Amino acid sequence: MNKTLNRRDFIKTTSAATIGVATVASGITLTTFASANKVPVTNEKRWGMLIDTNKLTEADIDGMVSACQQEQGWGSEVHSTGAQRPDWIKKLKVKDKATGKISNLALMCQHCEEPPCVDVCPTNASMKREDGIVLVDKHLCIGCRYCMMACPYDARSFVHETLSNQKEHMPRGKGTVEACTMCVHKVDKGEAPACVVSVNSDAVIFGDLYDASSQISQTLKTVQSTQIRADLNLNTGVRYSGI
Amino acid sequence: MNRLLVVFLSLLVGSVFAHTNEHANLGKQASSIKASGKVFHQSISIIRRMHPEFLHHKRDKTLRQGVRTDEYSLKGCVSCHANKNKTNNQYHSVDKKGQFCSDCHQQVGVSLDCFSCHRTTPKEGFL
Amino acid sequence: MSNIRFEQIEGKSLGFYVLVAGLGILVLAALGSMYYMEHHGHFVTGMSNRIVWGMPHVFALFLIVAASGALNVASISSVFGKKIYKPLSRLSGLVALSLLAGGLMVLVLDLGRPDRLIVAMTEYNFKSIFAWNIILYNGFFVIVAIYLWMMFERRMNKFSQKLGMVAFVWRLVLTTGTGSIFGLLVARHTYDAMIMAPKFVVMSFSFGLAFYLLILMASYKWTDRKLGDIIVNRLANLLGVFVAAVLYFAIVFHLGNIYLAENNNVEMILFSMDSIYTNLFWYGQIILGSIVPLILIYHPATKGNRSILGLASMLVIIGGFIQMYVLIIGGQAYPLEMFPGKEILEGYGGIVSYTPSLPEIILGVGGIALALIAVTFLIKFLPFLPESLADEVSNPHHKS
Ligand code: HEC
Ligand code: HEC
Ligand code: HEC
Repeated sequence: MNKTLNRRDFIKTTSAATIGVATVASGITLTTFASANKVPVTNEKRWGMLIDTNKLTEADIDGMVSACQQEQGWGSEVHSTGAQRPDWIKKLKVKDKATGKISNLALMCQHCEEPPCVDVCPTNASMKREDGIVLVDKHLCIGCRYCMMACPYDARSFVHETLSNQKEHMPRGKGTVEACTMCVHKVDKGEAPACVVSVNSDAVIFGDLYDASSQISQTLKTVQSTQIRADLNLNTGVRYSGI
Repeated sequence: MNRLLVVFLSLLVGSVFAHTNEHANLGKQASSIKASGKVFHQSISIIRRMHPEFLHHKRDKTLRQGVRTDEYSLKGCVSCHANKNKTNNQYHSVDKKGQFCSDCHQQVGVSLDCFSCHRTTPKEGFL
Repeated sequence: MSNIRFEQIEGKSLGFYVLVAGLGILVLAALGSMYYMEHHGHFVTGMSNRIVWGMPHVFALFLIVAASGALNVASISSVFGKKIYKPLSRLSGLVALSLLAGGLMVLVLDLGRPDRLIVAMTEYNFKSIFAWNIILYNGFFVIVAIYLWMMFERRMNKFSQKLGMVAFVWRLVLTTGTGSIFGLLVARHTYDAMIMAPKFVVMSFSFGLAFYLLILMASYKWTDRKLGDIIVNRLANLLGVFVAAVLYFAIVFHLGNIYLAENNNVEMILFSMDSIYTNLFWYGQIILGSIVPLILIYHPATKGNRSILGLASMLVIIGGFIQMYVLIIGGQAYPLEMFPGKEILEGYGGIVSYTPSLPEIILGVGGIALALIAVTFLIKFLPFLPESLADEVSNPHHKS
């Protein structure tokens, strides 16, 4: 199923579904909506990311962090202290104790196939979409933070203060938990996540892990890659090479 | 329990109000659509009564299944129904006192938490 | 046991009203704190994305654990058929329910969105230990309430033994569930161990009995009712055994962790001298909360002295609280071990500090106050306490 519909298709299909839109198809509203996914996502795809720490420069990582902030609108909280401020994506510097090799990497939600956060969530707010993207359904989140206790990557943040002027596509609010969404709103439109786009080289590859011909699958076949905390058998969607 | 009662009562009251009140501040885009003689919602009485269900349904569709059509999107409600302040050319929050969404809810005694997260004005750069 | 008469307390003295007013103020203060925290958001607390669960959870889990333990006195009578404990059963059920209510209040009011409690009651993820706990807590309320009713209602007395059995099993499962909240966190070395469950069970025995003893002694003293040595000494002995068991578990747990090499770093938190948790562990949990009470309970010079026993119970409670603090906060303070064999130079790591803010503490204290106020009121309105527990009443064969 081709996700990227062109505009004409879009108008055609939508107007079939709603008489309403057709009557204003003169274009006023439709300018706001680009092509959008209108069928449920399936488990025929599994979105993943491969981060090559040998190619990824520190500047790249800084770029990824700020791209994420720009896109999702976090990081400008005024009251929260350092450890309270949301941190959807972290820049880490890791040194191998035996060899002394230093790697820089970006760490965010690893989008596990068996996510501990989903298992522990009492209200089903932590959830995994069919295509492998792990999200918080903030409508069900009661702010118990058990998922944060359970996450092996400390990838989730709790919103510690009242927010306003959020991004339209990323509602965020006090008292709920949030994390990297793999830019699900962009992925559903056939685009790549903001952090991936921000990196100019192929140090970060995004794609469908189930599609044998995708660039990410091809690369995974040829390079040595690892999952962080592979011992937990979570089968993460985000993979690393070079560490 | 209380909450259910409130919902129930507001349903009752709501249906009375909803059918008698003509909306003064539909919002910038909605007003111009109306002024041009077009309609958007299939039926006013349906959207008045059923929009909570539509929104909840849409919400689950979007989050759980990734369906991102504009139909009953909360973003859509906001971008059509937000009013613009004539003097400084800024949008009012749809949820501010006297604005489209809150005005009606206040009359029927419903309070929403949606806008503690959801943006209350059309997205930046939207005319 | 036909000679046991239960009677409400009078509850008209100045002391009673002062007590109720004092506790009431604490509960109101807790509600005020919760409003403050929810209004501003959790940035006004000491909690953060690293110390996710703070002081309120320490209070809440402490109270919940103690609650299930407070039911033990009733269980000993109904499950193990020890007649002498029978007159104590009603109060045991009451203290259990009250402590649980206090704990749950704190737990719920610290949620990011307490207004969405309804969601927690309607949306269940049956894979979640937390969801199971919600069911276990609610079930505990129902079972213990029915159990109490059967004890009160003469016609139902004959069933109370059976239900006591159910309640006993339920409370074991409940505490196991509470322990598993931590025990099943695979990501965290500091918690991930099934020993957490039995450990929580023994902790509950000890904390619950300490609460029970204090409430029992205080209510008999303040109402000028007779409380004989036979019962008190038995309970004191029992407390001693439980405290020793908790100490034993603490030792096994930590030695076990030291033995497992991967947990070495984590144990450093308890054995390196620069961490606050080290001090809390050694001075608070081990010395103040275990060794000193054991000495007070068993040393010939202090044995049998009511005030000293009160002090020992108090120390068990304080030490238990500190143990919870070390377990919950200390367990989070240490960074996750994400890259075995590697050192994180920047971006993550280090032991994070946590300073509980005043509202968090007030909220927690309010939970204890709520439990105590519930006990105080209910023993005034319902006959929970035997009018006398003098030695010749509680044990007719006793010769003095
Ligand atoms: C705690 C924050 C939060 C609150 C409160 C909240 N939402 Fe959402 N909502 C979200 C997030 C996050 C998304 C996902 C956005 C995405 O993936 O594009 C979302 C998406 C939606 C969507 C689909 C996207 C769209 O714009 O159509 C709908 C509809 C929706 N919410 C309705 C509601 C309604 C109705 C309420 C109030 C009853 C509400 N939400 C309250 C966070 C929140
Ligand atoms: C394309 C712009 C547009 C969008 C998007 C839109 N509306 Fe409307 N809405 C209108 C117009 C135009 C009217 C006035 C219709 C009339 O009176 O003929 C209206 C009327 C209404 C009314 C009735 C007001 C009254 O007269 O009492 C309600 C309620 C309403 N909309 C709710 C919503 C909700 C909820 C959403 C989001 C799910 C939404 N609308 C999305 C354009 C829009
Ligand atoms: C014509 C009056 C009216 C207008 C205008 C209106 N609403 Fe409502 N709304 C109601 C009534 C009445 C209810 C309660 C009915 C019920 O609960 O079934 C309600 C309930 C809701 C609920 C569910 C509340 C809950 O607690 O779950 C949501 C969400 C909602 N409205 C969103 C909106 C949004 C967004 C707008 C602005 C685009 C809007 N409404 C405009 C009358 C209105």
